[in-house]
Amino acid sequence: MNKQGHFGLFETVALITLVIMSKILYTSIPVVVKSTGTASWYEALISCSVTIIFFLIIYQLIKRFPGMDIVEIYEAVLGKVIGKALGFLFTCYVFYYAATSIREFLVMIKSYVLPNTKESIIYISFIGVVVLIVYKGLESLARVSYISFFPILGGLILILIMAYPYYNPDYIKPYMGYGLKNTITTGVLRSSAYQEVLNLFIIIKSIHDRGNVLKAGLISLVISGIMFSVSLLLYVMMFTYLVGSENLSGIFAMSKAIYFSRYFQRVETIFLFPWVVSSLITSAAACYSALYLYCTTFEINNYKPLILPFSFLIYVLAAMPKNVIEFMQVNLAFVRMYSMVFIYGIPILALLVAVITGKRGEKLSAKEN
Amino acid sequence: MQSIINNIMQETLEMWMDMKKNKSIIKSLLSLITYKKTPKAKEFSVPELDEDGDEELKLCDRNGKDKSPEEGNSNSRIKKSIPMSDMKKSKDNKKDKAIPEDIESNLEYIKGQFNYPENKDIIIREFKIARKYRAFIAFIDGMADKATINNFILRPLLRDGYPTDVKDCQLDYILESVIETNQTEKVTDHDDVVYGILMGDTGLYVDGCNYYIVSETKGYEKRGVEKPQNEGIIKGAQEAFNENLRTNITLLRRIIKNSQLTTEFVKIGERSKNLFSITYIKDIVNPAIVDEVKRRLNGINTDFIMGNGMLEQFIEDSSMSLIPTILSTERPDRTAYHITEGRVAIIAEGTPFAIIVPVTIETLFHSPEDMALRWQYGTFVRFIRIIAAFVATLLPGMYIAITNFHQEMMPTELLIAIAKARENVPFPTIIEVLLMEISFELIREAGVRVPGIIGNTIGIIGALIIGQAAVQANLVSPVLIIIVAVTGLGNFAIPDFSLAFGLRIVRVLFIFAGAFLGLYGILLMIVALLVLLVDMKSFGVPYLSTLAPKTRKGFNMIIRYPIWMQEYRPDSINPVDVRRQPKISRRWAKGNPKYKKEDNDE
Repeated sequence: MNKQGHFGLFETVALITLVIMSKILYTSIPVVVKSTGTASWYEALISCSVTIIFFLIIYQLIKRFPGMDIVEIYEAVLGKVIGKALGFLFTCYVFYYAATSIREFLVMIKSYVLPNTKESIIYISFIGVVVLIVYKGLESLARVSYISFFPILGGLILILIMAYPYYNPDYIKPYMGYGLKNTITTGVLRSSAYQEVLNLFIIIKSIHDRGNVLKAGLISLVISGIMFSVSLLLYVMMFTYLVGSENLSGIFAMSKAIYFSRYFQRVETIFLFPWVVSSLITSAAACYSALYLYCTTFEINNYKPLILPFSFLIYVLAAMPKNVIEFMQVNLAFVRMYSMVFIYGIPILALLVAVITGKRGEKLSAKEN
Repeated sequence: MQSIINNIMQETLEMWMDMKKNKSIIKSLLSLITYKKTPKAKEFSVPELDEDGDEELKLCDRNGKDKSPEEGNSNSRIKKSIPMSDMKKSKDNKKDKAIPEDIESNLEYIKGQFNYPENKDIIIREFKIARKYRAFIAFIDGMADKATINNFILRPLLRDGYPTDVKDCQLDYILESVIETNQTEKVTDHDDVVYGILMGDTGLYVDGCNYYIVSETKGYEKRGVEKPQNEGIIKGAQEAFNENLRTNITLLRRIIKNSQLTTEFVKIGERSKNLFSITYIKDIVNPAIVDEVKRRLNGINTDFIMGNGMLEQFIEDSSMSLIPTILSTERPDRTAYHITEGRVAIIAEGTPFAIIVPVTIETLFHSPEDMALRWQYGTFVRFIRIIAAFVATLLPGMYIAITNFHQEMMPTELLIAIAKARENVPFPTIIEVLLMEISFELIREAGVRVPGIIGNTIGIIGALIIGQAAVQANLVSPVLIIIVAVTGLGNFAIPDFSLAFGLRIVRVLFIFAGAFLGLYGILLMIVALLVLLVDMKSFGVPYLSTLAPKTRKGFNMIIRYPIWMQEYRPDSINPVDVRRQPKISRRWAKGNPKYKKEDNDE
């Protein structure tokens, strides 16, 4: 991979937080409400806590191999063949993730904002901008994330504040939802919703001062965990858990309901800003990560010639599910729920192997000797 | 047997040659379909400096840790910038152009260079000093001051009493004791003699010498210092640059009274060597920036550069960008302010503008008046300008997007009013908007081209008449007239001409984005522009460094904080002397007044 510039703690936090948080604006909120009912707000906190634990464990692996990204570590621990195979598997997964993110966002844009526009036009224009971001590189992506972080966060908070006339605290009763066991199980499984934090271990070489990785990961997880939880709490307080599970996008439905006077109503279009920008950042980050993993796995120096073929494949993959229902069943109900086994499981396995075999990074071994 | 062996050898050789040939064919075929990475020139970036400002400055990372030479690039240790004169010397050494010691050869050379006698501008006056030594002077009629030549060069040379016992070259004696002009120098290079004459100086040669004396006799007509034409302000200095480089530098020197204010000159152009000055304060500016400016200026290889406008295009980082990365100003006070901030000013002979590098985007929204006004007013006008930039860029696109795609956003009454106004208009909104935009641009361009008073009035009258007529003819709706007018006003409120121009073009892109994909399209366009902007650099400084990457908080970026709070120079340009003033710059606020209230009471 060619040099992709460097960025600091703030840019890293903004990038990772936005990538995790963009799901709040998608279909995640109603799906969580559907599976955990009124307990969804603390289910988000459970997921976040579980992810923090996984993150800290995987960080131990990164610490053992300073100056190496996750694919290089797999190769160092598990050997070249298995390492490369895992690198390729991860590439496929991130590639799939990029395509599904784009599909999820565009399905909503199509149904809420541009019902009469041809899907392909919406797809191509969106992917075109994603290609531009990826072409400009990770540094530009991190800077765009940093610039748009506060407006997006502000926009989201504004929606939550402006919907206050509709909040009814009684709607979050019964507090236990469908039962504590169900909440905890779903919470643990849905820790995949925060899996984007592992992007840090992919882009680790671009982060100024590697010590920032741990800080950035924890800050991003805490911010997004709080935002998820608050959004779920207020969403249920507004729609009840029954109605709330039927919306396509929870936050969009909230913004649509805002009414202060006839001059201040139906302002959901303004909230397109956080929606579109965070989706672009998420998709571009996923695309970049997929390309990075692919190029690292196959030792390709320059990722730029691969952008167009990759974007074409993403377009094809994103357009594959026949309809929203099929897409939601496969992606949200299954992949976003159980991918944690693959995402967190493999690095932890690699850590175990490294500990058992006593493998360490060259720099660390040299230091100890 | 021998012949068989020879045949076999020859066949093998041919086969090998064929294979080689085939290989090259295969290779060339393969090269058509394989990816070739184009070699990319290394990008310049401004290194950070230790704050003590040592002469040999260390390269540090953002966290203040020293970088190893491997980590940094080749310029990991920045040395003092090389003066332009030294650069010239090294160049000159390569081409040894010795001046012959006989007058005939020199006359022939000068005549040949200036196409004499067809060229009537060049005056070559031959004479004998003390009726003995053959000499000549050469100057350009109109460029040089004849009175100075007559009174202070020719008269002393032809005066009686010239000593006849001077041996060897007469010019040494003439330089020391005869010539009465204040700026006179020995020139040992023919090119420099020719350049001096072209600049309005007078070249003197005496037979038997191997150098010329070039005396400063510039005396061409020039415009006086006048009021700024494009950057007028209410409160502050009312002087603007003119076309004379020396005057412009004097204007700067009059404002910055600092012995470290340094001006270096560089000549650019093969056919017409135009003179450019590089001005900076040596103990403030990052030497890497000065070096980079010199590198870029010296790296230009063209026949003629008319002035700053052309030079900008030769040295800017992003020549494909619609937004400028160089600040151009006609105001000496604005230039002086930027020089004291740690930036470099480049001024061309013959252009009443200075260009300032490096700049960040917010600099283009500043006006020299901001500093003269109290901070509350300065901040207010800056916000107005930023809003103006958004209006100028987005308003027509947003209008199309909302009326075509997001009608639900508008209150019903307003929606009905717009629908009513558009009832009789036969065109779709996009055509309507483009029609008005083109008309507006036509009026603007015509206003600039039409001479005199008519030019000033054509804008207003044209807009009123065309607007009114267009509405009456049902070609456009009245709402759109308001939209286009407000957009135009917004564009005029942007203080930088190039930025305003760029945004006029960007506006058209937003119009199309809004027409095709509504607000979604506009947002895609905003992100695309943002990505391009964050990737841009101005002489190694990230263009959006006000926002990202994160730098030390500036107190004169968007909000213009009180002047006494502006302790530091901009972090993004990494000046040698970061501190502008101490933490407590208003010492009087901490001290006791001589006459206290109690004293008065007593």
